[in-house]
Formats: sequence, structure tokens, C-alpha cells
Amino acid sequence: MDGDVEERRVQARFITKLKPPYKVPYTSIAIPANVTRFGLSTIVNSLLKAGNDEWESQPFDFLIDGELVRLPLEQFVLAKGISAEKVLEIEYIRAVAPQKEDEPSLHDDWVSAVDGSCPRFIFTGCYDSFGRVWKAAGECTHILEGHRDGITSVTIVNPEGADSVTVATASKDQSLRLWKFDTEEHLDQPAKIRAFKVLRGHNASVQSVAAQASGNMICSGSWDCTINLWRTNLSDTEGDLVSIKKRKVKNNVEESQMEVIKNLTSVARVCKEAITGEALSTLVGHTQCVSAVHWPEHSTIYSASWDHSVRRWDVETGKDLSNIFCGKALNCLHVGGEGSSLIAAGGSDPILRIWDPRKPGTSAPIYQFSSHNSWISACKWHAKSLFHLLSASYDGKVMLWDLRTAWPLAIIDSHEDKVLCADWWKGDSVISGGVDSKLCISSGIYVQ
Amino acid sequence: MGASKKESVEVDKKKNSKKTQTTKKEKHNTEESVLAQKQEGAATDYKELSADDDSEDYKSVGESEAGDGESSGDEGNHKSGSSEGLAIDGQSEDSEPDQGAEESDSSEDEVAPRNTVGDVPLEWYRDEKHIGYDIAGKKIKKKEKQDKLDSFLANVDDSKNWRKIYDEYNDEEVELTKEETKLVRRMLKGKTPHADFDPYAVLGLVRAIRKGYIKFDKPKEEPRFYMLWGDDASSSEKTGHLSYIPAPKPNMPGHEESYNPSLEYIPTQEEINSYQLMDEEDRPKFIPKRFTSLRSIPAYENAVKDSFERCLDLYLCPRVRKKRINIDPESLKPKLPSRKDLRPYPATCYLEYRGHKGAVMSISAEASGQWIASGSSDGTVRLWEVETCRCIKVWEFGEVVQYVAWNPLPELPILAVTVGQDVFLLNSGLGNEEIQRKVKELLHVETPTAPEDSGNKVSGWSWRQDDEHEGIRLRHFKSVYSVEWHRKGDYFSTVMPADILSIHCHLIAFLFLALESIVLCMKSISHT
Repeated sequence: MDGDVEERRVQARFITKLKPPYKVPYTSIAIPANVTRFGLSTIVNSLLKAGNDEWESQPFDFLIDGELVRLPLEQFVLAKGISAEKVLEIEYIRAVAPQKEDEPSLHDDWVSAVDGSCPRFIFTGCYDSFGRVWKAAGECTHILEGHRDGITSVTIVNPEGADSVTVATASKDQSLRLWKFDTEEHLDQPAKIRAFKVLRGHNASVQSVAAQASGNMICSGSWDCTINLWRTNLSDTEGDLVSIKKRKVKNNVEESQMEVIKNLTSVARVCKEAITGEALSTLVGHTQCVSAVHWPEHSTIYSASWDHSVRRWDVETGKDLSNIFCGKALNCLHVGGEGSSLIAAGGSDPILRIWDPRKPGTSAPIYQFSSHNSWISACKWHAKSLFHLLSASYDGKVMLWDLRTAWPLAIIDSHEDKVLCADWWKGDSVISGGVDSKLCISSGIYVQ
Repeated sequence: MGASKKESVEVDKKKNSKKTQTTKKEKHNTEESVLAQKQEGAATDYKELSADDDSEDYKSVGESEAGDGESSGDEGNHKSGSSEGLAIDGQSEDSEPDQGAEESDSSEDEVAPRNTVGDVPLEWYRDEKHIGYDIAGKKIKKKEKQDKLDSFLANVDDSKNWRKIYDEYNDEEVELTKEETKLVRRMLKGKTPHADFDPYAVLGLVRAIRKGYIKFDKPKEEPRFYMLWGDDASSSEKTGHLSYIPAPKPNMPGHEESYNPSLEYIPTQEEINSYQLMDEEDRPKFIPKRFTSLRSIPAYENAVKDSFERCLDLYLCPRVRKKRINIDPESLKPKLPSRKDLRPYPATCYLEYRGHKGAVMSISAEASGQWIASGSSDGTVRLWEVETCRCIKVWEFGEVVQYVAWNPLPELPILAVTVGQDVFLLNSGLGNEEIQRKVKELLHVETPTAPEDSGNKVSGWSWRQDDEHEGIRLRHFKSVYSVEWHRKGDYFSTVMPADILSIHCHLIAFLFLALESIVLCMKSISHT
């Protein structure tokens, strides 16, 4: 090594919002100026080890002035114009990266929709027209049949209540179905369930569905350019489903394989016909397929469409309040983040865009994440964090993002082909489904 | 008597002095206002006004013209100006010692003899009996002064008394006319004395003059001459002959033709030798020579030749105007739009629909944009979902599929496919049950028992139900190139390239949107 080059040192102090045993002493130490994130992580780990012998190294991520450090410390400080004379306050958080990948759950066809909003189970929709409920990787507990064509989107309507959960599915057969099932019961074989209500009204494939937080209504966007609002009327149809669970399934197959199509007819004859529901109201305004809807607040619906616009609708009046125009056909939309008002949308280009509708002036996106290679098919904010969101793309990758840095925090590369849907589960896992017919679960992601 | 006279005189004088003071004040005001106006400078108006002015101050030799008076220096101008200004009020009937006579034909000369004393203060004449001298040299006697009492009474009685001013200089009472009083009043207010006069217009004129818009000098006369020996270059336009093209001007001799040019002009011997090596045409026509004195200059050997050639140029050389079109060859190139204009153009490939084994001959998108149908040379037609590149359906035909076309109506997802000599109308299987039902109804045809058609020509078309592909098959007598739907979805046309000139197309009143009618009426009209 060159003896002339002196290693410059920077005075730094590590702070954290994490609880002990993650806390290091508050003293300032001199660290070499050219450390990268990995170096900082080792320093913190060694500090923690010094205080606690049983400490196991964990990866950490570092923030200076609210921005994640992605360059060597020296360059970062220079780029941000932070004075190197003062003591640097470095905040560290646990690195957001998946630590474990569960075994993928195989479906019969492409997994087109997944919903992980309830921590007790995962709900998937598939191109073979069946919805499935999974308790864990590979454990399918319920199979929801009834649709005639592939399912495009699913949503959990009412996750409260252990004994009956209501879910809704949207399908290419131009209808939506509402289902009810019990998550607590233990089953050896996946139980087949029929919908208790069929919602007809759309003239073309229903592309997406979203539920109101209170669980009374759902809205659906479709290829006929309209958004319909439906009631879920939970009170009518409790009695129907009791008998279904007791039906036996003939084949003994692995829980993830589904072959009981032949038994469907017998099952169908036994249970009652599902009631049909009509749309409560229709929101008209988009000129192309409504590809994504989201209902974050009681009276506001956000919708994204292939006509390049994101619209915000007022539920009572049925009028669109605002219209964000971006130049790309949008595939997915989610609202969350700070104040639950940041709109993330991805579409037919590899850039994930985030808008803040509260910001006056231009309607340009405030963040643009462009690490993907192909169309973005899904984007979801983390339920608890202000900064974290994920996106899934046709290039087969699911990326975790933090608003505070332009590079993805983590890239989950578990699919071989396009990823059609992704969601968070249990606050620390990411689930995704794709063209390879797999449902992949990656867990161990610590997001504060 | 004398004393009283003196008193009266004094009193009168005091009165007079008061009056003169007031008049002086007035005149001061007027002077000031006039000077202020003068400072703005327009002298032209004043010129006219002062035309009949006699500023008696000016005892210029002879009669001085107003113009001359003005031109007599700046100071003179100033004074004359002030006096002119003063002259405006009352038309100089209130004469002050510093007024000068400008013209002798003023109206005042017709009145009583004017005092020609000039700047001599009138105090000197206080004790005298005369006020001054008139123009002939005679003394002007003082008039009898009225008693104070009398004058007071006269003041009271006379209604016009306020207008009367005692002119001390001329020893007379002057009565101002109405116009004059108006002028005085205006001046007191600080306005311009003459009602018609507008100082602001004057200002405009002043500014214009300063900027040079108004000029005082006379316009130049066009030089009235023409070139005797016409310039060849310019005369060509003037001649009416369109075909006359003048000979080029002979070059004027330059330094080289001088009898003693600078040394650098003269070629060296080597250069002269090298001229011999050149061709006749390349040789320089004239080789400069140096002569130290004029007398040693020989005759110009080419004199006759040159003049002969010039004559030839002038009269024997046919000159023709060549119409040259100067076209920039670059302008002939078609202007391609710049890349920026074409944006947004596709630059990246994101989706690939894989499945065909042969070249894809034609694709067609469904009306709503959710599906794409493609026909390929491997004999299949595939139905793709746009969003996910999923192949939904495959139809096998065996022959190369030339063309596929969706029915433009979103309610009728019917696909027209041309394969060889057939046109297939296929039910794509999309849409809900209702739509499927309708499509199936439409795509049902019964084999005709008897030929129905118009009988013009032998019909080469046959309709068949095609269960294999779920649709209708229309057989032509020649291979079909393409099929196009009418915008309303009722009609479609097929194109068969037969000969070069003729294209057959037949319209089939087939899918009329009276969907209730299951019975299809078929009329085939063929054009050649």
C-alpha cells in the first residue's frame, strides 16, 4: 500500500430509532472516509458485538440527512455538500432485503392476481378461473370456483372476523364474484367454495377490483372503460355456504395441485345458485380500459387506465375530481406513503412513477424509479412505512424501493418469466405471482 | 398755479407711475411668460405676430425688416423677442422705452406723432414743456393735465375708464380695445395671450424640429441631366429590345498595362520560356514590359487586332440569354422529418408474442384493443391477449394465411381470415354468453339448394358452414389476397388479384345488424 496516502477519517456518530439491543453507544468515533455501506455495516456490527457477545451480524442500511447512503462516505458527503468538519450523524436502520425465500407454490396456470392484506392467508387468482387461498407456502386451503374465464384481479373485502372472510374476484368473463370462507378451520384437502353473489354489469372483461375499507362496497374497473360500484351485502347470504365445506373431494392430490374439475358439476348441483347483483353506480370518464382501481378512503376512488390518465373520483357524486395525465398506458396503481396520498403508478414503460397530488403546480411525478427493464405490472405501498413500496415487472423481477434513494433496496429475482402481480404480506414478506405459474414468498424483510 | 400744477403733475406722475408700475408689472408678467414661451423656442409664430410691430427701440438704419431684426444676433433676438412679446399685448400700444420700431408702416404711425426719444429716461423731461421729439424733429408738447378732482370724476363717470391707461411716453391716454383687454387678462392668468395660439402645438413643432423631422431648407432639385454616353450595364433595361445584350465592358488597364510597372509584374526569362511550353490558349495574353521612358515605348502591336475584336464583340458576336436555373441540388431532396418530430415513436421492444412457427403475414387488433389476431405462413391463426402475450386460441388451416381482419364492431368478435381461395369468418369465442349466441346465429349458413344469384355470370362463390373452425367458409374461384370490413361491420370485401387491371370485389348484404333475422339474404354482386 502506498505509505504516502493518508487515510482520511471522519468523525461520525451512529444513531438509530431501533430499540435496544440495536443501539450503539452515542460516542463519536473516527471512521475511514472511504467506507461504503458494507463497511459501515461491519462497523456497527462490531460495535454491537462489543456491547453484546451473542450478537449476530445483521446487514444495516444507513441514512445521512434522510437519504440513504449509496456511495462511499467521502463521495456522498461531497455530493451532498455536508461539511466534513462536524461530527456526522449517521442513522442506521435494518437493511430491507429478503432473507428467506419460501418454496414457490405451483398453480395450474398463470397467477394473475395476489392479495396479501390479511396476515392469515394469501389469496391468489389464476388464469384457470380458480381463486385459491393459501395458508403458507404450498398449503392451499380453499379453492374458489365459478368463473368461466381467467381471473384478473382479487381483493380481500373484509378480513376482520376469524370465521368468515369475504373476498371478491374479477374475471375475464365480465363478472365479479363474492366469496365467503372460514380461515380457521383445518382441512386436509382444499375445500371448494362457490360464490355467494355474482355481480354482472360490465360489458367487457373486468380488469381490476378494489374494496372499500369498511367492506360494504367494492369497485371494479373494466375493459369497457367504466368503473362500477357494487354492494357486497353481507347480510343476505350467510346460510348458503355452511354445507359446502363438508363436501368431500375425491382425489387425494397434493394441496397445490387442482384436478377436481370433474367434481364440480356434482358440487354445483348441491349448493344453491348464487344471487346476482347489479351495479350500484357507474363512473364513466375513462376512454380506454381501466386497468387498476384503488379505494383508500371512504369517498375517494383512484383509477388508472390505458388512456394514460390517473383519475380521482368522488364516490357520492360520481364525478372525477382530478386527472393526472402521464404519457404511458398505466397497468397498476396504489395510493399510500406519506399521508396516504402519494400515488404510485406503473405502466407500459420501465419507470415507476410517484405523484403527490397535494403539491401545487405541475403534475409531474415527484419520484421516478427506473431500474426495471420492461413493463411494470404491479406496485404496492407498504402498509406501515412511509417510504417503502414494491414493484413487479415483466422482466421477472420484483423490486423493493425506498423513496430516499434512487436505487432499489432489493431485487427479488424469483420468477423466470413475467411477474404479473405482487403484494406485501404480514408486513415483512413479499408475495408475487407470474407467468411461470408460481406464487413466490420472500420473507424476512424488515421494514419500519 | 405752478405749484398746483406741479403737484398735480407730481400726483399725476405718481398716479402715472403707479399705473406704469402696474403696467410694468403686467408687462413683467407678460415678459416672463413670453420669455418662458420663447425659451421653448418657436419663433415662427411670433414672426407673424410681430410683423406689424414697431419696437421703437430699434433705431436701425433705414427700416429693418422683421427678418433682419431677428437675425441680428442673439441678444438682439432676445430683445426683439421680448419686445415682440410685449408687442403682442395691445399691439404695442403700451409703449415702453424699450420698444423698437420695426416697420414704418405700422398703424401707430398714423396716430399722433410718436415719441422718438428712445431710452432717454422721461425724468429728464420732467421740468420741460415737451415730452420728446417726433420723427420730424419737432417737440411734442405735453398735454394739459387734468385736475385730480376732474380726473376722478372722469373715472367715475366713464364706464370704460378701467381700460384707459395713460401712456406716459407718448403723453396720451390709450384705451384698450376689448381684444386687447382679453389678451391682458390671459397673460395675467399665465396663459398664452392669443386665444388661437396653442403652446402645446408649438412644443410639438419644437420637438419635431429638434429631431429633424421638419426641415427648413428647400428640397434638393433632382439633377436634370442624363448620361450622354450610356452606361452599357444600365442601359440594357432601358432599351426595349429584349434581345439586345450589350457587349461586356472592356477592362480598364491596370498596373500590368502600365509602361513602367513594378518589377514584380514583369515575368522573368524563365517564365517567358515556360509560356512557350504552354498551349496557345493557356498563355497569358499580355506580357508586361517595362520601359524607362515614354519615348521608348514601341507601338502597341495588338492595337488593330484588339480593336477588331472589340468591333466583333460589339456587332458581330451573337449573344443569347441563357436561362439558367439555379437549383440547389440539396433542395430537391425530400425533406425527411427530424427524429424529434416523430416522437413518440417506439424505441424499445417490451413484449414479444411467441408461438408462430412461420413468418407472420398479417395481424389485426380487435376493436377494444384487448386481443390481437395474427395469421402466419405456418398455416395458423393465433389469438393473443395484448397485455400479457398469452396465446388464447389457435386455428389450424394448413395453407398460408394471407390476411386476418377483425370485425370493427366490438359486439361482434368475428374474425375474417383469408386462406388460399377461402375466406373464413370465425367465431373467436370472446365475449359473454349473449354475444356468443349472437355470433353463432350469424355465423350459421345453410347450404343453398338452388343457385339464387343474378345470373350475369357464373357465380364462383360458395358458402359453407365450417364446423371445424366454427364459422363460415366462403370459397372463391381464385386465391384471395385480402379481406376488409366495412366500418359498420355489415359488409366486407375481398380482393383477388386476377389480372393486373381488374380487381374483383363483391359486396354481400350479409351481416346486417338486424340481428333478429336469422335468415340471411345473400346477394352477390360482382364487378369486373
